[in-house]
Amino acid sequence: MRALPGKASRQPPGPEPVSRDAADADQRRRILTATAELIAEQGYQETTMEEIVRRAKVGYATFYKHYADREAAFLALLDAATDRTVGRVEDAYKREEGPWADRVGAALGVLFEDVAAHPAVARAVLVEAVAAGPEAAAKHEAALKRLAPLLRPGRELNPRQAELPESLEETLAGGIVWVLGQRLIAGEADKLRGLLPETLEFVLRPYMGEDEAAREAGEVADAISA
Amino acid sequence: MPTEELGPLPAGRHGYSREQVAHHQRERLIAGLAAAVADKGYAAVTLSDIVRHAKVSRRVFYANFESKEQCFLAAFEVVVEHLRELVGVAVEGIDEWPRQAIAATRAVLAFLAAEPDLARLCLVESRAAGPAVTARLNEAVGELAPLLARGRAKRPEGARLPTSTEDSTIGALVSLAHRKVAAGEANRLESLLPDCAELALLPYLGPAEAARLARAAA
Repeated sequence: MRALPGKASRQPPGPEPVSRDAADADQRRRILTATAELIAEQGYQETTMEEIVRRAKVGYATFYKHYADREAAFLALLDAATDRTVGRVEDAYKREEGPWADRVGAALGVLFEDVAAHPAVARAVLVEAVAAGPEAAAKHEAALKRLAPLLRPGRELNPRQAELPESLEETLAGGIVWVLGQRLIAGEADKLRGLLPETLEFVLRPYMGEDEAAREAGEVADAISA
Repeated sequence: MPTEELGPLPAGRHGYSREQVAHHQRERLIAGLAAAVADKGYAAVTLSDIVRHAKVSRRVFYANFESKEQCFLAAFEVVVEHLRELVGVAVEGIDEWPRQAIAATRAVLAFLAAEPDLARLCLVESRAAGPAVTARLNEAVGELAPLLARGRAKRPEGARLPTSTEDSTIGALVSLAHRKVAAGEANRLESLLPDCAELALLPYLGPAEAARLARAAA
């Protein structure tokens, strides 16, 4: 159909046309957000498909178009959240050009920021995933392992580096996740910012010793309160 | 808690008081749940599984617990109470702090290694048992904080240590143990003692002394 002269650029009445891709992406986003919220509120086992579709305001057919079942949606949520957050954390580490401790500080800062900004998603990944079946637990574990390479260079700073436990990095990452999980369970995501300097100190201490770790943490604390 | 060895409660007149029977039934249900969870994981366990393992009726279950979750919570409490006693015994007569902390760690790891099913129930399955159990796990683990915090007295006067040190240290220890259990290696938990001891002592004694004591503990 040929547009009438002068009318070609005029938009049809009603809402802006939405492309199929954008609509699909929006549906997936709504499903995953609903899944995260419900799981944060009541746990994975208690969360039903019915609740997810109702909260996401989509039909069952729409849900099944994107995900085979509840577990598939949860696993997709874990992948998306891990890629986003760990990706940002790794970027922050790479972008910071200062010494190693500054890079870890920047990375941890982004992690805490992201968790505080998305507490429901964070709770699903950091707390609930652990017991939501072997695949989910493996994804949680893999996310934790991605933090280890950021810490490992700290060994160079320790004169006794050969004696440090092999499991140190993953264990420290576990400690970080525990601190985050504790605050999420307590519904205190807003307190995370205040915990950042202490957690950084905890992570740096085995590598740099107490004084240096405390000094770095102090700098971060000053930056936060500034 | 192997229920199989107990056999069903004798029927009819058995000379037990009503209270004694009720107590037994509750214990059997808790043991039944632990066995069922070890069998197929908390999420998949049904009420039928629990009462079958416990060898009691569904009516008895509902006389004792409102839900599977409540029964799980009771089982969890039994283990926590037992660990609390073991830790109490382990530190008894030890005055010196680092040795006390090491003895407590050793006792917890030894028990969980000897009871891999209960280790799994407490450290892995508890995460699947709903927010109430998750919160309870955090609380129970938090009981270890004062034991660590005694190490603060070992530090030079006036030296500051962040208030969350015990929390993050405990988190690191739990994460270490959790991963071992989740990997199906609960029976090897005691091999973690040196690493656990080193991490636990490090904030208070410094890396060199913590490493020395940890190696000595192994």
